[in-house]
Parts: sequence; C-alpha cells; structure tokens
Amino acid sequence: MAALAALAATVGGLLRLRAAGAEGQWRRLRGAGLLRGLLQPDSATGVAAQRRHVAHFTFQPDPEPQEYGQTQKMNLFQAITSALDNSLAKDPTAVIFGEDVAFGGVFRCTVGLRDKYGKDRVFNTPLCEQGIVGFGIGVAVTGATAIAEIQFADYIFPAFDQIVNEAAKYRYRSGDLFNCGSLTIRAPWGCVGHGALYHSQSPEAFFAHCPGIKVVVPRSPFQAKGLLLSCIEDKNPCIFFEPKILYRAAVEQVPVEPYNIPLSQAEVIQEGSDVTLVAWGTQVHVIREVASMAQEKLGVSCEVIDLRTILPWDMDTVCKSVIKTGRLLISHEAPLTGGFASEISSTVQEECFLNLEAPISRVCGYDTPFPHIFEPFYIPDKWKCYDALRKMINY
Amino acid sequence: MAVAAAAAAARIWGSSRGLGQAGLLLLRRPGAWGLARSLPQRRAQQHFPSLDDKPQFPGASAEFVDKLEFIQPNVISGIPVYRVMDRQGQIINPSEDPHLPQEKVLKFYKSMTLLNTMDRILYESQRQGRISFYMTNYGEEGTHVGSAAALDNTDLVFGQYREAGVLMYRDYPLELFMAQCYGNASDLGKGRQMPVHYGCKERHFVTISSPLATQIPQAVGAAYAAKRANANRVVICYFGEGAASEGDAHAGFNFAATLECPIIFFCRNNGYAISTPTSEQYRGDGIAARGPGYGIMSIRVDGNDVFAVYNATKEARRRAVAENQPFLIEAMTYRIGHHSTSDDSSAYRSVDEVSYWDKQDHPISRLRHHLQGRGWWDEEQEKAWRKQSRKKVMEAFEQAERKPKPSPSLLFSDVYQEMPPQLRKQQEALARHLQTYGEHYPLDHFEK
Repeated sequence: MAALAALAATVGGLLRLRAAGAEGQWRRLRGAGLLRGLLQPDSATGVAAQRRHVAHFTFQPDPEPQEYGQTQKMNLFQAITSALDNSLAKDPTAVIFGEDVAFGGVFRCTVGLRDKYGKDRVFNTPLCEQGIVGFGIGVAVTGATAIAEIQFADYIFPAFDQIVNEAAKYRYRSGDLFNCGSLTIRAPWGCVGHGALYHSQSPEAFFAHCPGIKVVVPRSPFQAKGLLLSCIEDKNPCIFFEPKILYRAAVEQVPVEPYNIPLSQAEVIQEGSDVTLVAWGTQVHVIREVASMAQEKLGVSCEVIDLRTILPWDMDTVCKSVIKTGRLLISHEAPLTGGFASEISSTVQEECFLNLEAPISRVCGYDTPFPHIFEPFYIPDKWKCYDALRKMINY
Repeated sequence: MAVAAAAAAARIWGSSRGLGQAGLLLLRRPGAWGLARSLPQRRAQQHFPSLDDKPQFPGASAEFVDKLEFIQPNVISGIPVYRVMDRQGQIINPSEDPHLPQEKVLKFYKSMTLLNTMDRILYESQRQGRISFYMTNYGEEGTHVGSAAALDNTDLVFGQYREAGVLMYRDYPLELFMAQCYGNASDLGKGRQMPVHYGCKERHFVTISSPLATQIPQAVGAAYAAKRANANRVVICYFGEGAASEGDAHAGFNFAATLECPIIFFCRNNGYAISTPTSEQYRGDGIAARGPGYGIMSIRVDGNDVFAVYNATKEARRRAVAENQPFLIEAMTYRIGHHSTSDDSSAYRSVDEVSYWDKQDHPISRLRHHLQGRGWWDEEQEKAWRKQSRKKVMEAFEQAERKPKPSPSLLFSDVYQEMPPQLRKQQEALARHLQTYGEHYPLDHFEK
C-alpha cells in the first residue's frame, strides 16, 4: 500500500505542465546545470523523444447553476472541500478521518477543515484501510456521521470485507435494529496519466455486486458537491469515487451553499436520436467529445447520459433512451470483463431487445492491470469510442 | 529527575541549545550518565551536554545501548492471572472481595445457570432437527456475567458469538433468544441470520455477525463517537483468542490507542479456535502481552472466577471513561462444549481434558460453592431453581416452535432504508412465482 504522497503532489504540478505544453518540461530540465551533460537534445539521437501526452479528454464545464444562490469558481477538490465544510457546519456529529487528512490530504480535499472544526473532528488514522472503514462503521452505528477517506481507490481492498460483509449488510442482518447509514467512504478514482497499476483503478464493478451500499461517481465539481452531500445525508452507506484527474483540471462555477443532487438518477446531458452513449466520471467528457465528432463527421445525433450512481443504477433513464435511439454504447476505464458495462448491457437487452438496431457496444479498458507507459493505448479514448460508434451505425 | 532539573536550569539560564553549563554540572554526577564520564574530551570541546546523545528519532523515545542483545519474549512465566476466588470459591485476598450484595451475586448465579439450561435444550433441539445450528457457552458463563455486571446498562456491547450470557444478564427474554434461533415471526432480526446471531437495540447489544473480529474496529469507532458525545459510556468488545489473530484486531487495538477511545477489549481465551489450539494460534504470551505493544493498559484474569472478571471490568470501565483510553482484559477460560453443533471436538481433544474443566474448574460450581459458603444458597434452592429454570426454558421453547416464520416479503426489506425499484420488481416477481408454484414451497410455516 505505497501511498505515494509525492506522486499526488506532483499530479497537480504535472497537470499544470500539461497545460503549458509538454516541451516546456524538457526545456526546463535541459537548462538545469546538473542535467546538461546527461540530456542529449533530440537531434543528437535521431529519435524523437516521447513527450508527455496531453490529457485524453477536455473537461467541459456545465453552465453556471442559477437556482442555488451565489457561486464561486472551484475545481473538483475545492468543491469537495466545500461539501465537507458544509457538512461539518450543519452536522455537529460529523467527523472526517483517514490517512493524512489532517494537514489537508494528499489531494488537498480537506485543507483548512481541521483548523476550522477541531482536531477531534478532522483527524488522521493509522495506515490501515480495514481499520478506517471498520472504525467508520462503528461511528455510524452510534448515529454520528462518519466520512472516511481511502487515499486511493486502489487501496480500498483491505477494507472490502468491512464494506461488503459488514457495512452493506448491517441493516438487513439486524432486522433494522442497527445500521451504518451515516457512513460515507470517499476515494480518488480513475486514470491520471501516469498512475499505473495502483493509482489508476476504477473498482466500482466490485462494489456494484454488493446490495446494501451505494456507489457514486461525479463528472465535475458542481456534480461532485451535490452528489457528495447527498451521499453524506443518505441513510445508507455510500462509496463516493472522485476522478483524480479532474481534481485540478475541472473548474466551474459551484454554489457556495449546500445543495443536493439526487442519487440513483442518471442525467441526460445531451439529447439525441440515433445512439445512446453512457459513461460516468471522467469518461463522460470523452463521450461528449465523441458525440460532437459523430455529429460533425457522420451526421449522427447522440444522446449522452452520465450514469452518476452505479448502484442502485437508473435503469429507467437508460432504457427510455435506448428505446428511442435503438443503439447503445457504454464506456468505462475499468477492464471489460465483469465491468459495469456488462450489467447495463445485460439489462438493456432484456428490457429493450426489440428496440435494438445493433448489438450493444462496450468500449472499456483491456483485461489487464492498468499499465504505466502504455496508458495511452490502454484507455478507451475518443478514437476507440468513435470507431465503435461508427461500426454500430453501419451495422 | 536529573533531566527535568537540567531542563529547568536551561530555561533559567536562557540557553537555547540543550542544557547549557548548569545542565552539564548536574549531569557530571558520577553514575548519573555513563556517557558523560566516558567522553571527557567531548565535554571540553563542545558545549553540547551528553543529553544530546539521547536518540532524537521521532519514532521512539528510548536510550541508546551499545551491547547487542535481542529482547527475549517471556512466554514461560507470562503475565500473571488475576483471581479473587480459589477453585473452591473461597476469597483469597479479602481486600479484593467486591462485597457485592447477595441479590446481585444471586443474579450472577441465576444468569449463568439459566444460560446453561437454555444451551442444553437448544443444543438438543438442533440434534433433533428443530433448529438448524447452535453454539453453546459451556465453561465461559463467568466471562459473560462478570463483565456484563460491571458495566452500565447503556454501555454498548459488540460481541463475537459466544457472549449470550451478557444478554442474559441484561434480561433479554428467553422468548427472544428462541425466536432468533427458530427464525420465527417474533424474531426482531426478522429471521435473516443463523441461530445465536442475537442483537438487541434496547439492551445496547449490537447484532452479531459471523465474520470474526470485524466488530473490533467498529467498537473503537463507536467508542470514539461516545467520547465526542460526552456520553459517559464505555464500549466493550468481546472476541476470542482466535479472532485476535485477524488483521481487524490489530487495526482495532492500534486505532483505539492512537485515537484515545474509551473501550474495553475483552478477549475470551478459551484454548481453542474450533480445532486449533492456542499453541497453533500464537507464539507469544497470549493476547494480554500484545496490549503493551500498542500502548494499551492490559491485564490477564481468571475467566472462570466471576469476581475477578467483575473487578477487572469494573476498574477498566471506570478508567476508560475517565481517562479516554483503551483497556485490554484477557480472560483465561476453557471451552467445555464443541465449537458448535457442526463440530465434534473429540476429534482433536481428549474427553479427560474436557472433563477436568467441567468437574474441577467451572465458573458455575465455583460460584455455587462461594454462595453456599456464605449461606446464600443451599441444596433445596438449587433443586428448586433447576426445576424452575428448566420449566421456563421449556415453555419458551415450545412457544417458539409453534410460531410461524415471518412473511417471505421480509426477504426484501432493509437492504437499504428505502426499497430500490429493481428490488421491488424482484419482490413482485417472487410473489407472482409463488402464485403459480407455491405448492413447492413451505408456505404453510410462514406468515402471509
């Protein structure tokens, strides 16, 4: 469980570099005296050095929300902080805990909260995910609000027993005498450009198979704050996965006051008539771009759906859309086999069989661990999605 | 002492670097600091006192040592076993007598014996196919009752599965014990779990779950919340010596200590984890010796001595709440019964070994001898109580048998607080299925 805090600190730095352009990084390094002797300029070797790639998506901010009062420009981690701030202000029992949350967290989601609310409410725990979740369940059993942070979703597995065998089943097995509904577990999720096996995973499929918990993935700062607040207030244990690549890259206007976005409700973010595209988290921005490409190059009108809640998921919205369009493409970074696209696909073919014009398409990560240097080839990027869409149209 | 004085001297003299001259003078006392004596040259050259030779590592506060020596774990004469009564029920050290009133001690005895009677009847009922599964508490009744009696009624209990005596002491009705074992319509758990997975919100006994040791970090979280709420409440967490090997136990101990939680960790060391004897479960000095490794106050007690268990738990409770720190009690005892109705322990231990504990060192007989010694109990009362307790148990048993099971629709509720649409569809699908195929299902035994 090597929680590379250094990695996290550089994520922000690197994303900034990305924006500046990859060349900038190499120029800076070449200038450094120490490295001058070591680094050859490209022309000397005759082989183009690999530049760090720009992100595979472009974050598309939603228009400024009007109905929730004053808004402020926030990135994803600031929106999370805002939600946590609101929660601790409203609910005197609420506590936040996990590894390194006291100083502000490796992704800065808890900055300022310990100073504001006190060390008994925002505190570090020892390095032990099964302990973090078990402890959180116990806090919740007494009725207090427990917000547990797992440093990377890749490290949630030691807590799998506590989540699946305990948290998810607490209410059911006790006949509703006891529950841990006031538990929310947050974890950074998804690819980040260089995270490799243990800083890139999207484990939502493991938890989708577990009745009793809720699993939520936001696509943006505005969505994140509203969904996280809903998770915290929901009377069931929730897992909230935060796309880490969006922590700094996603910026939009977010209401300062608390507001809720309902769970188990997918959002049709763009209406269309020919194909339904479904994704969640970062991938929503990929398929949004694919929808533009399809319109431009193929004259195809896409309906784009952000699933938002993986469990329990909004079958009605997805099926209603597929009944209209007749074609479905689902995309996620997580590996293909047993990924959540298979659940959506299976349900849609049961409910909408006669409406389908083509087989349901899944564009996902390969059935491999998440690679480091091969990430650009691994991820289900817009070209793969576009190609799959084209084949569906021509079926 | 010398250190504190030297530090104070440093403050007076305004030295910003270690102890300064005053400190050095104090430290020069022969024998106070060996290092000072052995390095006279250094003292002349520098103004750093030998106190700077103390390790500065953030990870540990300890002295340097220049002799290579491994710490030997002391397993031969480990942590001693605290007891109050001898095996014949006589108080050994009168100052340790808790001086409990007769009424209370009789409640101890009646709880333990009623539990024992219920165990016999329910074990038998499983053998006869009336319930699916059962676990007895033979030999460990003292650990349950002694500890439960030392708590407040509102103290939260997290158990493993062999603590029914705690519920018994808190007056959980026989009817509800049986209802859970039979999974009938009176079961507050709505028939969802195997027998002996009791839970009672009113009596602050968190519902039992089968995975071992998962309750340990949960209990710690509950204790933390109780501390924050200024509830004046302790949380007690029971587990066996086998469960103490789980990672969750390590997690729980460490969190309790670092987060300063008012919790009592109560380990029932009964010698076996199903068939695995303690020699294969651990190599150190049991569970009590682990406590200090986490910075936890720890004690080992004779679990078959209900007063020893009582005293230790009482003091642990008082201090845990007053000082917001965890306590570890390892109650040594013996599992006289099989692990469960799915186990036949003659496969891995001798009948003689079991018989010794049953006859020579049983918490119930020890307390009975004590009661008789005090003139608080006699053969007459014993006979009458045996008859009465058996009658109570049989009545509850027969009633539990006759009751129907809960409605099958309860299969679907409480997964979430609210029922999600797809689950409602599944519930409706089962209802429709039963309309057509109902004859193949035991619907007669279930409520509608």
